[in-house]
This record gives sequence, C-alpha cells and structure tokens, in this order.
Amino acid sequence: MATSLVNSAHPPGPTYLAFARDGSRVYTGGSDTIVRIWNTNEGTTQEPDSAGEAKEGVTCLAAGHDCWFSGSNDSEVRRYAHASPQQDGLVTNAAGVAIRSLAVDPQGSRIAVTSDETTVKVIELADITNVVLLKGHTKAVRRATWHPSGSLLATCGADGRIVIWDISEGEGKEAKTIEGVIPAVANTESDEFAYDCSVVWHPSGQHFFVATRTHEIISISRNDWSKSSTFSNEDVSGTITALALSPNGVYIASATKSGVFIWSTQTRRLLYRFQDISSPPIQLAFSPSQNLLAWTDLEGAYTRWQDPIPATAPHPIKPSTASSSAGVQKKRARTPTLFDTEADKEFARKDAGGDVDLDEDLGADLDNDDWILDDLGGGMDDDAEDKRTKEGIKEMVSVTKAQPAFQPSSTPLENKKRYLAYNMIGVIEVTDQDTHHIVNVEFHDKSARKSYHFTDHFKYDIASLGERGAAYACQPENEHSAHVTYKPYGTWATQGEWTYELPKGTRVLGVAAGGPPPTKSLREKSDADMQGNGNVVIATSTGELIFLTGTGIERCILSLQGDFVTMVASPEWVFIVTRDGATTMDGSQNLTGRLIQFDDFCVLQKDALPVPKRHTVKWIGVTEEGAPAIYDSAGILNVMPRFRLPFAATWTRALDTNVLDRREGKQESYWPVGVAGETLMCLILKGRQEHPTFPRPLIQELPLKLPFHRQDPKEAPLEEHLAREGMLLDILRDSLGDQLTTDDISRRELALDKELIQLIQNACKNDRLARALDLTKLLHHTASFDMAIKVAGFYHLIGLQEKIEALKDDREETDRLADAREKRRQRARDLTVIPAPRTVFAAVPRQKAFQDFKPPPAKHRPGLERATPVVDTNRNAPRAQPQAMSSQFSEDTAAYGTSFDDSVNDYSFSSPDGKRKRAEEMQPVRDYPSPGMDNASKRRAVDEPVPLVKAGASAGRANPFARKTGTDNNRNPFARSTDVNKALQKSESFFSKVDAAETDKGKRPPAGKAKANTKEKEKKSAGRQTTLFGLPANPQAEKKSVGKKKKASESQVDSQQTEPTDDSETQTMDVTMIESQSVDDEDSQPLADEPAMDALQTEINQDADTENAGSPEPIEWPPSPTHENNTVEVVVG
Amino acid sequence: MALPPPLRTSVTPAELELIACEQLVDIIPLVAMERTAFISGAYGPLRPPAKCKVPIWMATNLKLKKKCHIVPPDWLNVDFLQDRLTRETSQPEFSELPFRFAEVAKVILDVASDDISNPEKVRSLLQDIREARQAKSRDGVSKLDHSELSLPNLCAMEINEIRPFFVRSMGVLTQLVRQPDPGRMDQME
Repeated sequence: MATSLVNSAHPPGPTYLAFARDGSRVYTGGSDTIVRIWNTNEGTTQEPDSAGEAKEGVTCLAAGHDCWFSGSNDSEVRRYAHASPQQDGLVTNAAGVAIRSLAVDPQGSRIAVTSDETTVKVIELADITNVVLLKGHTKAVRRATWHPSGSLLATCGADGRIVIWDISEGEGKEAKTIEGVIPAVANTESDEFAYDCSVVWHPSGQHFFVATRTHEIISISRNDWSKSSTFSNEDVSGTITALALSPNGVYIASATKSGVFIWSTQTRRLLYRFQDISSPPIQLAFSPSQNLLAWTDLEGAYTRWQDPIPATAPHPIKPSTASSSAGVQKKRARTPTLFDTEADKEFARKDAGGDVDLDEDLGADLDNDDWILDDLGGGMDDDAEDKRTKEGIKEMVSVTKAQPAFQPSSTPLENKKRYLAYNMIGVIEVTDQDTHHIVNVEFHDKSARKSYHFTDHFKYDIASLGERGAAYACQPENEHSAHVTYKPYGTWATQGEWTYELPKGTRVLGVAAGGPPPTKSLREKSDADMQGNGNVVIATSTGELIFLTGTGIERCILSLQGDFVTMVASPEWVFIVTRDGATTMDGSQNLTGRLIQFDDFCVLQKDALPVPKRHTVKWIGVTEEGAPAIYDSAGILNVMPRFRLPFAATWTRALDTNVLDRREGKQESYWPVGVAGETLMCLILKGRQEHPTFPRPLIQELPLKLPFHRQDPKEAPLEEHLAREGMLLDILRDSLGDQLTTDDISRRELALDKELIQLIQNACKNDRLARALDLTKLLHHTASFDMAIKVAGFYHLIGLQEKIEALKDDREETDRLADAREKRRQRARDLTVIPAPRTVFAAVPRQKAFQDFKPPPAKHRPGLERATPVVDTNRNAPRAQPQAMSSQFSEDTAAYGTSFDDSVNDYSFSSPDGKRKRAEEMQPVRDYPSPGMDNASKRRAVDEPVPLVKAGASAGRANPFARKTGTDNNRNPFARSTDVNKALQKSESFFSKVDAAETDKGKRPPAGKAKANTKEKEKKSAGRQTTLFGLPANPQAEKKSVGKKKKASESQVDSQQTEPTDDSETQTMDVTMIESQSVDDEDSQPLADEPAMDALQTEINQDADTENAGSPEPIEWPPSPTHENNTVEVVVG
Repeated sequence: MALPPPLRTSVTPAELELIACEQLVDIIPLVAMERTAFISGAYGPLRPPAKCKVPIWMATNLKLKKKCHIVPPDWLNVDFLQDRLTRETSQPEFSELPFRFAEVAKVILDVASDDISNPEKVRSLLQDIREARQAKSRDGVSKLDHSELSLPNLCAMEINEIRPFFVRSMGVLTQLVRQPDPGRMDQME
C-alpha cells in the first residue's frame, strides 16, 4: 500500500481542498477562516502559506487557470492569484448567507457560485458584473459542477434535486431535474450537509457519477438522464461522503466513514482501498498532474495518498485508450474528419468489451496494428517532396484507417444495453448485469419461432440470428477459451444446442448462422423438419474460416484471405467481407466480398465491394430473395441481383438515401435491418445518432429506388420501376434451374408488360418511334406484342406497327423461356467440374491374387441372360437418378453438401417418415446372411417391431414363395419411387448390389411401359427369382414359384387389358420373391386358395405399406419404370 | 341507452365506431399469415416485420390477441394534435382533421395505447380539441340559418351530435322565415 501524508491543517470542523490546475499546489480551508496553500511535492513538514482574509469559516475552494477562489460563511467569494496568499479582490457575495460551493468552468472563464440562497450565480470572471442567475432550487444549493464542455452546469440542492442547467446560450436553461437520487438535507449545520454530494462528470461528458441517498455510486447518462450503472461492493457500506474522478476518467475514488476506495469506472470493480482514516473525508481530489489522491475531512486533517494506483495499472492521468474518456477527448481535440465516427465506434466497441480487464484491454490496443496513427506531423515535408516528383499532381496523402471487424446489425454497449443482432428474423438484446449478461431473443414473427431469454455468464459479444438458430460467440477470458454456442430454434430435438470450443488464445471475430427458412412453425413440437439446423460459419483471429453444420459437425476450415471484416450467411452461402491487403493511401478500404457456398465450399462470387473512398461498410445482409446487399456510410445500398451467375454478378445501386425526399431538411440516418422485396427495412436514427437505442425503435420501410437521374415526371418513374422489377425478376429467373417459368414470374412479367405498353404509348404519342421499338423488344409475353401493335395502330403509325409485327414474328420463332433455360444450362456446363486426367495403361494390369474385391462374375444361367452384373454403373445410376428426375428438389440439395445428397433426397420424397426410415436402416444387413426359404417372413419379423396387423403374425409360417396375392391398388404411386431410390442407394451389402444390378438389367426391356407383354414379364420375373436364388436357394421353391407364375401369366393376359396401369404398378412394387403376375391375378380375380395365403397377402400389403412409408430396405424392389429409363440412359450415356 | 333524448334518434357513437372500423390502418404483425379474403376485401399477406394495411377491426382483433402492433396514423401524435389544438383555439373555423378522427382515435387508444407514445397526453389533447370544437359548433347555433348550413371540416361524430338539434331547429326556422301567409298567420299562432 502506498504511503500517506497527513497534516492537521485546520482545527476540527469541515475542511475543504482544491488542487491548482497545474497540480503544484493544494488549497485547503477550514473552520479557522484560513486557507493554506500546500506544495504538493513537499512532505508533511512544510510550512504552508496562508491566506486569512475570510471572516468566518471557509466553506469552499476552487481553482481557475491562474487564480483560485475561496468562499466562506461570511458570504464573500474572494479571488487570489495562483499559489499566492494575496487577495486579488472580491468576486461576489451572497445576501448574508454562507457560500456553499464554487466551480470554475473548464475554460476558466466563468465561476459558478452556490450559497444558501436558492439561486445559483454564474459569473464571468473577466467581467464580474456579468452574472447569470439560475433559479430553480427550493433550498440551499450545496454543490455545482461543470460539464467538461462548459455548456452544462449541474447543481445539487439541499432539496435533494440535481438540476442540470444548459448555459450554452448565455442565459441558463433548466435542462433536466433529477429527483430522488441525492438525499435532501435540511440542517446546514449537520455533517451530512458538509458531505460532498456533487455530481462528477466523466471527462467524456457522456455521463456523470453521483453518490445516492441509498449509499451507492451510480452513473447517469447524459443522453436520457437515466441511471446506467451502479458501483457496489459488500465491503463498502455507509454513506458516501465524497467522490472524485481521476483526470483521465479511468478511476473513481469514493470515501465513506470507513475508508477511501478506488474503483474502475469501466469494470465497476473495487480496485484499491485506504482504510486507515479517523474521520470521513468530505472532499476528495485526484491531483491533475500526479498519481496522487488528496482529501480533507471533518477533523481538519489534510491527507495525501501518494501513488494510490500501482505502477502496473493504467495511470490515472495519462489518457488511456482503454477509457472511453480518452477516446472522446481525443475526438474533441482533433478537427472533425470523416473518420471520427469510426474512431468513436472503435472506442465504443472497446467500451462494449465491458468487463475485460484493464490490462488486457490496453494490451489489445497496443496489439491492434490496424490503427495507423494519423499524426503525420513532421512527415509531411517528405511527402511534399514526393508530390513534386510526381509531375506536380496534387494529392493529399492521408493514411486510411482500416475498418475494424464488426457484426452486421449489432451495436456497442451503451447504457448497459446493446443489440447483438437486429435483422429481419428478430432481435437479440443484451443487458449487462455487471456479473453476467441477460440475453433476450425476440422474433418479429412470433408464430414461427418462440422468443426466449437466458442468463449468459460468458458475456457473449458476437451473435448471429439465423433462420434456424442463433449462434453466440464469446471471447477468451481468464479461465475459459473462446467458444461458439449454437442454439437452434426447433424444439423437436431436445439436444439441439451445442458448443464449439476454440483453442486457447484464439479470438472469435465473427459468426454467421444461415439456413433455409422454416417451412412451418418451429414452435410446434412436430416431426423433424428435414432441412436440418442450417450452417454456422466462424471467423477467428488465427485466420480460419470454420464451417460447421447446424448440428455441430465440423465440415471445413478455410483460410481467410485477409483481415476479416464481416460476414452474413444465407441459406446457400456465406457472404464474407475481407480486406485483402492494406487500405489504400487515397482512403479506400480495399474490401473484397466473397460468396462461399455451403455445399462445396467453392467461391460463387468474388468482387471488390463498391464502397466509396473514405467510407466504410456499415451493414451487409441478404435480401428476401436471397441476394447479397451492402450499405455503406455514404448512405448507398447496393445489391447483387445476379449472384447465381458464378463470377459474373455485378453490384447494382438499389437506393441512395442521400436523395430521399423524406430526408429533405432533416438530419437523420438509416440503420438497415433488411431488404425485403422493394423496401429497405431500416431504423431511422435522428440527428447524429450512430446506433439505435433502447427501447427498440420500430422498423421503418423505405421503398427502394434505383438512383436514376432522369427527371421526366411521367416516364422516369416507370423506367425506374421497370429496371427495379427487372432486377427482382432476374433473381427469380436465375433460381429457376430447369424449370421454364413460375406463375409468379409470369404474373410479374405481365405486370411489367403493362407498364411497357404505357411507355410505348407515350413514345408513340411523342413520335419517338425508335424508343417505342426498343421498348417493344423488352416485352415478355407475345400477347403483349399484340397490344403494342394496337397502340401503334391507334396512333396511325403503320411503319411502327409493321416493325412490331416483325419483332413479334421473330419472338414467336424462338421460345424465350426455353432459350433462357438453355442459357442457364450452358452456364452450368461451362462450370462443370474438370475431371482428373485419366491415366493410360500400356497393358491391362493383371490382377493380383487377393486384391480383387469385385464380386465374383455371375454365372451364366439360362433364366438369367440379361442379368450381367455391372456393379459400378449401377452404383452410379441411382445417384444420377434423383437429380435427373427431381429438378424441383435440386434447390434443396444444393444447400447441402454432396455427402448429404442421399438423405436430403430421401426426405424430400417422403419427408414425414424420414425418422422412421432411419431407425430401420440398420436392419437389412442382418437379413442377407439368411436368404433361405423364409427369408421374407424372417425379415418381416425383424422389420415390424410393432405388428401392424395381427394376420401378419399368423401367416408367419406360410411359404414365402407361394403365390402372394398383393392388392396394391391403393398404394401411393409416389411412395414407390422412394423405395426404389432407397433400395438402390442404400444397398451397402454385396448381395443387394448384385440384386439391384440384376433387377436393373432384367427390367430394361419392359422399360416402364404399362403394357408390357406377358412374355417379357415372365422372363423378368424369372430373372428376379434367379436373382434371389442365385444365392443359396431352395430349388423346390423356385420350381414351385415358376409353376405358379406360369399360371399367373396366363390369367394375366385378360386382366392386363383392363388394368394396365395397375399392372405396371404392381409390377414394380412386387415384393421380394413374388412375381408381379400373381399380384395382378389377385386384383382381377381374387383367388380363394389357401387362407394362409390370404393372410400372407395382407401381411405383404402391410409390409409393403410400411415400406412405402419410407423403409429404406435395400431389398429387391425393382425400380419403377420411369426410373429405369433414366437409369438406362445414364448407364449408356 | 344513456344518451340524451335528442341524440337517440340518430346513429349512436358505437355505431359510428363500427363504421370507422372499416378504415385501414398500418400494423406491424407479429404473426405470419397469407393473404386472406374477408367480406370487406382481401388483406395481407402478413409478413413480419413488414408493415401491412388492414382494417381497424382486424387490427384491434389482432392487437387484443397480441399478434400485432398498431402503427398509429400520422395525425395521432402529440405534435400534430397540439398544432391542431392551437389552431382550433386561435382560429374561428374548424381545423382540418380526419373525418372520423374521434372514432379512430378512441379505438386505437382503447386497444393499443402502448403503441402510441405518450397516450395520456394524446388523450387529453383529443379531449381539448373536442371541447374546442364543440364550443364552436355551439356558437354556430346562433348563426343558424334556415336555408343553408356550411360547416367545413366537421367530423362524423360532431355532425352526429348536432344533427338532431340542427335539423329540427332548421325545420322550425324554415317555418318561421317562410313568407308569412297573412291568412294563415292566425292559425300558426
């Protein structure tokens, strides 16, 4: 503990002190009417000068630039020269009552005098007749304090009120009265009255500290005059008798009857204490020049605590970057430049760091190389020379400050509250509770997601609110390393939340959570939404870009190309902004934006961001249509509508907020939240506000308006709208894929055509025929051409009419939509994956023994001519299949990695049962080793944990190769395709591969034709049988089934004509070893054979049904005809 | 009904309110809903956080279920009403206000006072405006004329208030002012 020097300066009684502005002297005054002038550098043995003009006890002291003042009970305010005991004169006096407080403004030009009168005097020191009277208090005014700017004066009255006066315009105006904070003290003789109740302004001027009647220190924000933070510690109790702030605003000292305490203004933690005191200090002061805290108490003692702040901690005098005070002071000192706002932000961000240890914070600041100091100073001369050498080109050399990393739509901590995210999905609000944070998440659409809140002990400072979950990231602090927590919204899976720890020392710079928008409400505890939990991307300080799925699977770690700035995720990609290299000398931030796809981690777009020089990116986001958008500090919104064209998209100006009509004559700025359709959703900030504050402002809608410059009142708006709508249409058209058009698109096109016709009409009216023709070319629908022809006819423009007709003919020749699709395909082809070069072998290498893992070649069997196993092609075929046939699902798939293809496709075919499917997935493996007689029944027993139909159980013993009677009429035709896919894709065992291959081959001739002839069927079924019986089989069964089949095929001839479709269905649906014919048979003419067979049949139906419902059993389901066609194509081609 | 007898013949304020509820008002929905057809027309789609124009009856209904915030019309705020009140008290004619402002303001203040900034002040301003205008329309009685009545900017509720009295008194005036027929003079008296 540092040393303290105590002088009993005055006899017991309230004693006051003031530091000279240079810190070399301390003035103390007490009840003995004498003011002593102490040299701060000398010890306790010094003999101070004294000034004894006062006739009664000195009650207050104040120091100006070159003078000091004393006020006393004799109602006089005296003026003295600096460090001198010689009185200069009287300043003012009160009407026979005691002077209570003096305060010289920071400029040293005015002095505020309070007394037991209810008015406060503000006196011009140069002309003491110039007095401003402030009336508002109802009792004596105990203390007065100047705001650092000198424009506000805060006075504390014995009536318990703090009044803030605005004295910027000559006379004083009551700006705010705060009641109930400081105690009301009636007795002027009591000790309480002598206590220092003054407000202490932070050097930033943004807030002040005051000791409350509840014995706390609170800070009150200047913005809304509300309490923003509290300093408390269980060791500190009792009335606070004095307060003082260190000159740089980093520390605040408080005094109670038990001691003197020093707190950090940032962390609000108690740092140091001095408890060896005899009497409560009633005035505390930090030295303006030294690491020294001095106080005077009720016993007349003058105490100096030397070096209260250890050398290891930030100095109380030197402006520290860690303190917002320093930041703001610096700002005030500098000439305002464009980059001030940024600097503020940066400092504010540092502030927002909240409880980071001071030391750490300082360290971070020193580390921060991005901050090139702009003190060119002496360097300018050299620059000038340089300029001359450059052929006299005059250019201002300014070093551009790099924009720090930020999270879109987040705000710094202000008044203990901040937004971590505020986007089109919802809001994450954080309230700082000193020891922890309260995170409150609210969604705009309360029907889709459930709002929640939680207590956060890690102090998450980065968050991203995605469609399917929110990701929170915290920075490393003492014991724990940085981590990212992802909380999905869906409730069906209880263990959705996960945490991803980063290695020690790594900081998180940004997170982004993206995912496809929910198809239904995520509030309901329904079946799994098959789209998963989206994707999470994390950017770290070690230059990593980590991709995880929404379930926490680490998928990829890319390297960041430069300094990370910000990122945002869409369902398909992450839009990441980096600074590749340094900022340029001429003020450009040199930012590059990349779109990196989630499914293959490939770059979709890479382009420099169109941020004007000397401006920064303020916000990035994704429009409702899925296009990336950016908003910069110049107030321009850019979107990239053609982002689906790899490496070809351009940034388009969608809105220039500087030319908005509503902005005329108003000082406001816009804080984007999202872009939806034709509107920019934003929060409107009044004045010079930088961020939205609390309570949450309403989202305003600004219509997008391309900044076209033509002013024609009639045509310009139409043209603008045309272009804007065209932009939206482009986004929609690009996402079409193999589709030709959608209803929505054609409707929009039609609406556009109507506008075009209007423009054409206008052009015709004004005889601008070339323009009319140009507009005609833009028409979408051929029907609209007729309208254009009519318009031309109306104006008797025969030539134009003919030309339009020619255009129409031209348009009719080509199919616009098909052409567009061809173009899309062409683009896709241009960007196909380049295959690896093929190695050419001179001779076919002989296969070594035991290294051939291929299945043994199929033996030639008479019934099996076509069943040559081609395992490889077969493996490929099913993969190609779903993509070829289900273009509508390609979008879904695109959002996922190729490794996910299977599952996604499965889900999209029959999503409600996906869960179940999975459960059964394991089981087929068990079946294969026992392909014997009752294979089917065995499997059934395994597959049906819950016997769906009792009959099934009873039929268990029936011969599975007996003719089964499956009436499959009521089957869902779509379900089958699921089975087919599944059967083909999921076949992991060798047998199933062979089976699949064989059935595939065997099925080729019928090729899905409903009217396959009996013979072929026979063959096919024979083939299928052998497939099974190629494995160790029961010859008897084979025989039997063949026999049955013959009978079946006979009977089928007539049934086929009547129910061809049915036939084809059953054919493909056919179960394990049973021929389709038998099923058909059953359809047309029900057999009353054995009752067991009936039972079996029902069972089979059940079996099939359950499988329809999504069982992925890789059994011998032959593919449906259409599928097979595809397969064949793929295999051949 | 607790209305004074002369008012009972005309439409009741509650009925006027019902009529006013057909007017459109902006809401910020908190739930998503497709465009939905109602008897009075199709409204929506509701896409939070985008604003949407729906009739007041629907807005109140949603608001009561906490499914939207009502965006008060641009005239329903302290500044605008203060301005109107000063005009109302300083100028002889009725100031311009939406035709059904009283009804709309009442409904919105009743169900969505939390969506309005400083609802108490708005309420008292509306009351003041109403009183000022009532005083004017009472003054108007003295200028009542048998043939014509022109009170521009009078609102639905006020018209409703004065209608029974004015109509009747105008009828009486017409009779009084009618060129007296000497023969029938005695009868009339």
